[in-house]
Amino acid sequence: MKVLVTGAGGFLGTAVVRAARRAGHEVIALVRPAARLSGAPWDDDGVTLVRGDLRQRGPWTGELAGAEAVVHLAATPSGDLPSQFQATVLGTEQLLDALDHADGLQLRRFVHVSTFSVYDYAAVPAGTPIDEDSPLESQLDRRDAYAVTKTIQERLVRDWALRAGTPLVVVRPGAVYGPGADWDHGVTMRLPGGLGLVFGPRSRTKFVHVDDVAAALVSALTAERAAGRTINVIDDDPPTYLQYAKRCRAAGADVPRLIPVPWSLVKLFGGLVAQFDRRVAGGRAKLPEFAARRRQDAQWKPFVYPNAVARDVLGWRPGRTLDDGVAEMVAAGKQRNR
Amino acid sequence: MAASPIRVAIVGCGAIALEHLAFLAPSPLVEVVGVCDASPAAADFARSKVPGARAYRDLTAMLEAERPTVVHVLTPPHTHPALAAQCAEAGCHVICEKPAAGTLGELDAMLATADGNGTWLMESQNYRYNQPVLDLVAAIGSGRVGEVREVDVMISLDLVSGRFGDLNLTGPGVNLPGGAVHDMLPHMAYLFLMLSGAETSADRDPVQVYGRLWNASGNVRVGFDQVDALVVSGAVRGRLRLASDLAPDAMRLVVRGTAGSAETDIWHPYLRVEGGANVGKRIAVEHLVSGSRLAWSAFTDLRDKVMQFGSYHGMTRMLDDTYSRLADGAAVPISRAQMRDTAALVDAIVALGGAS
Repeated sequence: MKVLVTGAGGFLGTAVVRAARRAGHEVIALVRPAARLSGAPWDDDGVTLVRGDLRQRGPWTGELAGAEAVVHLAATPSGDLPSQFQATVLGTEQLLDALDHADGLQLRRFVHVSTFSVYDYAAVPAGTPIDEDSPLESQLDRRDAYAVTKTIQERLVRDWALRAGTPLVVVRPGAVYGPGADWDHGVTMRLPGGLGLVFGPRSRTKFVHVDDVAAALVSALTAERAAGRTINVIDDDPPTYLQYAKRCRAAGADVPRLIPVPWSLVKLFGGLVAQFDRRVAGGRAKLPEFAARRRQDAQWKPFVYPNAVARDVLGWRPGRTLDDGVAEMVAAGKQRNR
Repeated sequence: MAASPIRVAIVGCGAIALEHLAFLAPSPLVEVVGVCDASPAAADFARSKVPGARAYRDLTAMLEAERPTVVHVLTPPHTHPALAAQCAEAGCHVICEKPAAGTLGELDAMLATADGNGTWLMESQNYRYNQPVLDLVAAIGSGRVGEVREVDVMISLDLVSGRFGDLNLTGPGVNLPGGAVHDMLPHMAYLFLMLSGAETSADRDPVQVYGRLWNASGNVRVGFDQVDALVVSGAVRGRLRLASDLAPDAMRLVVRGTAGSAETDIWHPYLRVEGGANVGKRIAVEHLVSGSRLAWSAFTDLRDKVMQFGSYHGMTRMLDDTYSRLADGAAVPISRAQMRDTAALVDAIVALGGAS
């Protein structure tokens, strides 16, 4: 199949291009014009490099005609709300419009890469599962720009797929780690004196290795029962924050002396701040993640994260052990810092 | 009986629209009836802030359907003249983001269209209403700095690594003669004119401008990313500087006079006022007071950031003042002369680019 991969030059995009080639697909890799790319997988004859930015219409819109499927990864996970909105939402809008107008395009499947950030963690009791049927965030103005823009993006894609009659698979990966994405080794806040706070030390992370996500996305292109499904992709047994930090340290990462801050204390602190906000600030306070209740819930509240749908529908199995994944990630980090 | 809220629409639903809507959505003075953007997603997002409004992709359709009294033109600057004219011809007052026009000539044409249709055109000059600026005005008014002799506006702002200089996009970052710097020039110009007293002086000397406007980064999309202008108006002179290669971001205002000085920063507010009639005896006290104010500003800055009382609070005050006046049938608060003087000074600074 000829697969258009948006955001192909990014951390996950590059892994998807590799995985798609391994699965025998031809790839149209849409990368940003200023991206510096060399070597594999970009020198592969099965990869057609198209330079373009979804935020702006341009010659890239004429390169979509041959695509039979799309893996839509392009998004901006950092920056303020307007810049994330422009790249993630308006970029998606431009892509969908370009697909609508591409000559003779008949997509067999559209795989949209969403995120665990769209769930409403405050509405789910602690200790219970977050799965594909969990409620979606109802108070977006209380979440960060990433959750806001990815939620709007997913709605846009769902509406478009329904209208266009294109079979859609929405894949929601957990926190993707790997070479280049270490999530600060699980440390919430670094303090002077070589100390580091770990919030919710016994709460499970949502980690999944980048190559495992790429494999799931490529499976979603062809898995028969995937069309119309929403699929969470997360490790079988993701580590707790404390376990992850300790494994990173064991692998040689620069991890400070850890001070665990139990979830109950994190929640108590957030609750006090929320009371203060309501009573003194009229609910207007803009708070950092570690103090904002809904954002605390999304990050550190303890949940269980099943991956049964991915295993069943995609036939997917995580292929990377945590020890191997962390070792590779830490080694890559050291290489970059040299 | 209270007057009906003024019917308001916005065209352009990007980042600055969210700042306008922060005032418009809760204000009892207005009713937002329409939001318009070429992007349906952007218009829908803006509408989510004002649920009573309807979203449009086409300005003509919005003007015909909603018949707003005021339209906020919040699109990229090079589109302002045509859109403002269309709104004026539909009988709407226009509040236009800065720079309202690329040149004084364009502004005059926009004003003529507004006049011809009996409508107001007002450029958003929101920093006039920011508390640090008002504090400087108060310090000047109290006589503590004596006769104003120097007004410096110094901006450190990376125009290159943001969207203006993003090399993934094509075309100019800001489609105006002064490039990316032009986006900030109106602020610099009206603050100089306001704090120097030039805009209220009946017999002021013409403003002269010397200096340089240039591209230091080599980034092709920003056009110009640095300006260093010496501006002279009679006995008052000032440096208007913007540097893209300095950190942290800052917008420092310094007023020096015959008896003292006052300074602040719009983005990280503090107030420092020094000087007085008997400096020799009072200098120790002055230093203590000044230092204490500086230390206290660390707390107030943090408080203001948490409470979302950011550098756009002047926008809220400006719009509140504007709509209060419109409700009373009065003129908009930023005058034709203030807008024209600002545009003329900006023109003179932009002309420095031709000499670089």
